[in-house]
Amino acid sequence: MTVSTAPKQNSITTYLSNGLKVIAIENPAADIVSARIFLPVGQGHETPETAGIFSLLTSLLTRGTTHRNSLAIAEAVEYVGASLGADSAADYSLISVKTVSADFEKIFTLAAEILREPSFPDHELELERKLTIQGLRSMQEQPFSVAYKYFREGMYGTHPYGFSSMGTEETVSAIRRDDLLEAHRQTFRPDNMVVIIVGRIDPERAVALTDALLGDWGAPKQPAPERRLPAVDSRAYRIVTPQDTNQSFVIVGYLAASVNHPDFAALKLLSTHLGNGLSSRLFVELREKQGLAYDVSAFYPTRLGPSQFVAYIGTAPENTSVALDGLQSELRRLCEVPLTDHELQVAKNKMLGQYALGKQTNGQIAQLLGWYEILGLGTEFDKTFQTDVAAVTIEAAQEAAKRCFVDSHISILGPAAAVEPLR
Amino acid sequence: MSSAPYIPGSSAPDSDCVKAAFPASVVRLDSGLTVIHQEISTTPVVVVDVWIKAGARYEPDTWTGMAHFLEHMVFKGTEQILPGMFDAAIESRGGLTNAATSHDYAHFYMTVAADDLPHALPYLAELLLHAAIPADEFVRERHVVIEEIHQAWDDPDWLGFQTLSEMVYGDHPYGRSVLGSPDSLQERSPEEMLRFHRAHYQPDNMQVVITGGVSFDQVMDLVRTTFRAFPQPEPCPMPGLVSPPRLMTNPKRTLTLPRLEHGRLVMAWLGPGIDDLQAACGLDILATVLAEGRMSRLVRELREDRQWVDEIASSFAVQQDCSLFVLSAWLAPSYIKEVEQVICDRIANLATTPITTVELERAQRVLCNDYAFSMETPGQLAGLYGYYGALATPELSLAYPDYVRDYSTSQLMPLAAQYLSPHYCGTLALIPT
Repeated sequence: MTVSTAPKQNSITTYLSNGLKVIAIENPAADIVSARIFLPVGQGHETPETAGIFSLLTSLLTRGTTHRNSLAIAEAVEYVGASLGADSAADYSLISVKTVSADFEKIFTLAAEILREPSFPDHELELERKLTIQGLRSMQEQPFSVAYKYFREGMYGTHPYGFSSMGTEETVSAIRRDDLLEAHRQTFRPDNMVVIIVGRIDPERAVALTDALLGDWGAPKQPAPERRLPAVDSRAYRIVTPQDTNQSFVIVGYLAASVNHPDFAALKLLSTHLGNGLSSRLFVELREKQGLAYDVSAFYPTRLGPSQFVAYIGTAPENTSVALDGLQSELRRLCEVPLTDHELQVAKNKMLGQYALGKQTNGQIAQLLGWYEILGLGTEFDKTFQTDVAAVTIEAAQEAAKRCFVDSHISILGPAAAVEPLR
Repeated sequence: MSSAPYIPGSSAPDSDCVKAAFPASVVRLDSGLTVIHQEISTTPVVVVDVWIKAGARYEPDTWTGMAHFLEHMVFKGTEQILPGMFDAAIESRGGLTNAATSHDYAHFYMTVAADDLPHALPYLAELLLHAAIPADEFVRERHVVIEEIHQAWDDPDWLGFQTLSEMVYGDHPYGRSVLGSPDSLQERSPEEMLRFHRAHYQPDNMQVVITGGVSFDQVMDLVRTTFRAFPQPEPCPMPGLVSPPRLMTNPKRTLTLPRLEHGRLVMAWLGPGIDDLQAACGLDILATVLAEGRMSRLVRELREDRQWVDEIASSFAVQQDCSLFVLSAWLAPSYIKEVEQVICDRIANLATTPITTVELERAQRVLCNDYAFSMETPGQLAGLYGYYGALATPELSLAYPDYVRDYSTSQLMPLAAQYLSPHYCGTLALIPT
């Protein structure tokens, strides 16, 4: 399916005088407006000492400003049944707003306030710190999360992508209010921000509103801090974690190309071919034909820095070794055996069809286009990416596999009797 | 292919107080099949969502897990369609397909480009009407389902929910796991599954919902030609008659689990079934007042002020025979007793003291907007119509926001008195070993 699900666009893209980029897209289909405020700071700006600082910082944005306390912010949002949230990810931080159109101005005004004037109250910091640490601990309850944590740590070492976005118990315990204020002062600035508003709203009004709320915000004189993306020392790695679970998890992966790399589209296609849907290679070979697993898939996230190409399976402990062989041989096959014309075409149709289906709601459109902007790719990447995918050849796919699937990183978790022999 | 229970969201496309006419067409064919269609001309995609009253509640006791296992086996083809052909046919053109099973229903859905509908719909109809249940595939797929069960057993929240269900539903089928158990599945045969299929996948039990960029006439033509020639129903053991579950006791349990990093306290009450949606909407309001959002009573008191819990949340889900009202807290085990006491006090208070107008209005806006937000895509819309269609009538899906908005604070007190007694609730604590 190569249809476009994007709305017929009545849109404006412009810069405010302080450098802030505004994109407004009208979509009258539903009585909903979604907005995202993107900042180009996230895990990529953290160090082993400050891991989790942007997660903690963004979680505190809705917990107090110089004008309102946590309860007053919650009251304003919940009373109109809107949503207002803030979050951080590998390459960005963002504030998200969703309202019925009549309430948009009011809630977006509040979003601008939490963006510009958060107060990081001490008692709210302590509460969020406690909740974050508990969140980190609760990830240890899920076998896949544990296996993946060790996989990621082994692959990235001290590179910021090696940590959970929430950081570690040690780093989160050590972050002080002054650190948050300083990080906010340095990195939350209009000259590197993108605001995107999509929904039942006149684009001119959306731009005027953004200008009224954020146009007078001056950028600091000193330049914004650079991303910290050190090279990763990629060596083959295997970690085995005995745990008394009902299922074993096996994760096999490789360091992989960033979004700016020429292999990006080819690897996205390979990940679709391997792991996306009921007709994907891993699903058919390991689940349908061998009944090894319920959960078997692959993923390859879009990252500014070194990404990861990952295949994983949850299987019965007695099948751990067979499942590992299965994942490895499927990955090796992509290097040794070229895809057929049919396989390539199917992967393209699947990739592009599902890509279109991922742009149905105002929130999805705002998220995707704003993300491309903040990664420095521009909204045009929406088209470029689809063109690039359509242009991938059999040879390019195989070459990309050969370049990527070299030093494997493996994490195996399960009952000791099943996993110890695989050390 | 998950078995997660569908939690209905909250209503009209616009949140204005206008009683809208039902925007979809509902046609009952001579065969008994119900077709629900809504054209959305602005989208180039079409969603087909087929809801069948063939969930786990229709299994006899010893067939636990059959309905969900059958949902897996439907994808294994018919005499005309080899295993995997359907998935490949849909996905190779960029479409999506999947399915889910609950106690009340199984449903199968796909999203395709509008132009592909005539190609895709015959496949789906053929699978649903003529599933072949090949014996070798049955044995192989059973391993997959058993892995699904093993994965659930490693999930403390799933274990907690399942244990609590057994406590509050008693002998009613809602108390059994939709997934069944490895042992129960081992004893079943492909012939028995075929009988279950032929008995329940019949037109009277089926709602075909189609939304998106396709006209009414085209939909009716396609459905008439593809959903025909249903097989003869076959006799199949049925569960004994069960009356709607009622909880007249106060069951309590503590489960110790390995690798637990938080304690959990989960408390559950039973409410009315889909036949009293109005009362159910009132309970949804109370669930929101208690523990949805930072302004809600229990989040404010227990997480923000006292800091006894790391998280507390409510969930409310309407099913055919009853609804389920759940409060879940994640907390240090040392606080479980105190938190349980606070929850009981605050629950009891709802029956004697009216909530404030501000609380009511907040809950009404939150629920009505969530409902509006849950109708943004053709897939969400199809799910909503199908869910209500399978359990009651598709038109009832639009009643929700009006029911929610029409409540006054005084009407909620008798509702709390009737359904939310601290004396008739199930209480489960999870603590680390």
